[in-house]
Amino acid sequence: MNTAALTTHNLGSQLMLKQALALALEKIINQALKLNINKNVELKPVNEKCLTIILDELNFPLSFSVFQQQILVTSLDENSDCSIISSVKTLKELQQNQQLTELIKQDKLDITGDIKIAQHFANIAQNLTIDWQSELAKYIGDVATYKLTRVAKTLADKFNFLKTQVQSDSSEYIVHEQKLVVTAQQLDDFYKQVNKIDEQTDQLMLRLTAIEQRLQPTKG
Amino acid sequence: MSTPDPQNNQDNSTHFGFKTVDKTEKASMVADVFHSVAKQYDIMNDLMSFGIHRLWKRFTIDASGVRPGNKILDLAGGTGDLTAKFSKLVGKEGKVILADINSSMLNVGRDKLRDKGLVQNIEYVQANAECLPFDDNTFDIITIAFGLRNVTDKDKALASMYRVLKPGGRLLVLEFSKPEHELLNKAYDFYSFNILPKMGELVAKDGDSYQYLAESIRMHPDQETLKEMMNNAGFEQTSYHNLTGGVVALHKGYKF
Repeated sequence: MNTAALTTHNLGSQLMLKQALALALEKIINQALKLNINKNVELKPVNEKCLTIILDELNFPLSFSVFQQQILVTSLDENSDCSIISSVKTLKELQQNQQLTELIKQDKLDITGDIKIAQHFANIAQNLTIDWQSELAKYIGDVATYKLTRVAKTLADKFNFLKTQVQSDSSEYIVHEQKLVVTAQQLDDFYKQVNKIDEQTDQLMLRLTAIEQRLQPTKG
Repeated sequence: MSTPDPQNNQDNSTHFGFKTVDKTEKASMVADVFHSVAKQYDIMNDLMSFGIHRLWKRFTIDASGVRPGNKILDLAGGTGDLTAKFSKLVGKEGKVILADINSSMLNVGRDKLRDKGLVQNIEYVQANAECLPFDDNTFDIITIAFGLRNVTDKDKALASMYRVLKPGGRLLVLEFSKPEHELLNKAYDFYSFNILPKMGELVAKDGDSYQYLAESIRMHPDQETLKEMMNNAGFEQTSYHNLTGGVVALHKGYKF
């Protein structure tokens, strides 16, 4: 490790960034578990089990240990029942129903230990359901929650429309105005032309070979 | 801020903050301090450290290498912050002993942990760190967080911890220490002697106890001295890690 990296590492450990992240995650996870309304979320099968995730983006492990109805987050990695070495991007792919084995084959995911534990943790994360409206209503009342939800929905719709519009306009501008990129149709045409030239080149090669063979006996 | 030299103490005297007292008196004087602050201990910890004590304790857990089934002694464990975490990590097969010399602190700790539903693998023992009431080679890990500076005879306490630790086991001492930078040292001094006792007066209605806290921190051995004391007690591969600029240090040592 070079001096700068060592200094950064030392500063990070002095400021206890690992522990701060673990503390924040632990609070969020346990609060989410407390608010969860989906009865399919069950911690019992992984009670006293530990899942360790080592992300490429972080240079330290995050271990999730279950005890009774709580999850404890630490940076310990010495007694993990299942360890996953991966990146945030790959975990997102995994969430989008990418095949686990496919990601392992592609060296994007390295799993050691009991894979069922990782799957159970993934199920917990996917099945967590929080009734945000009911939770919010406890603090600001039903009417205010209803109005706030409607405003939020309208804003979200408008934002999505705006996002689609901006994407569409910008692609029009880049493709047709600035001609910085080509359309799928243009790309397809280009491929067809390349294939045609390729075929013609092959035919030319065959003709040249035939001529060469015809000329050879005359030389002899 | 000038502090008395702890090395100048007579054989039968020791320091209680900046005061020099008879060794036989210190334990009861420290006991009085903690009887007085026990009920407000957690809230004062959060206030005084701005909540950072939680990270210091997490750092200790991360350095402990704890495994399911381990037997752990949380010495001077007070209100049980470390015990609560260890209890979850050692599981049903493991055991955590929360030990404290002070009955008031132990009672507050026991009530708090029971309220959290942590009952099955925790035992409570009122014990003096200088003569621990456990068999030789009993524990896989011993922790003492913010407790060693209150012990009258620290060498004797370290020797006692060494005795009850299993071969291969580790001792973790989390304690206030000496800030690494002069500027931080001055700011910390100002905070400790001017703001901290006033906070104690305001919240715990006990400024004197928090004046003692500030003084006892100054009288506690610095990082290198404590490391040497651990070596003298027999611990091997001793090391320390400064946290928050050396305001707190985590010392680690093994028994082989």
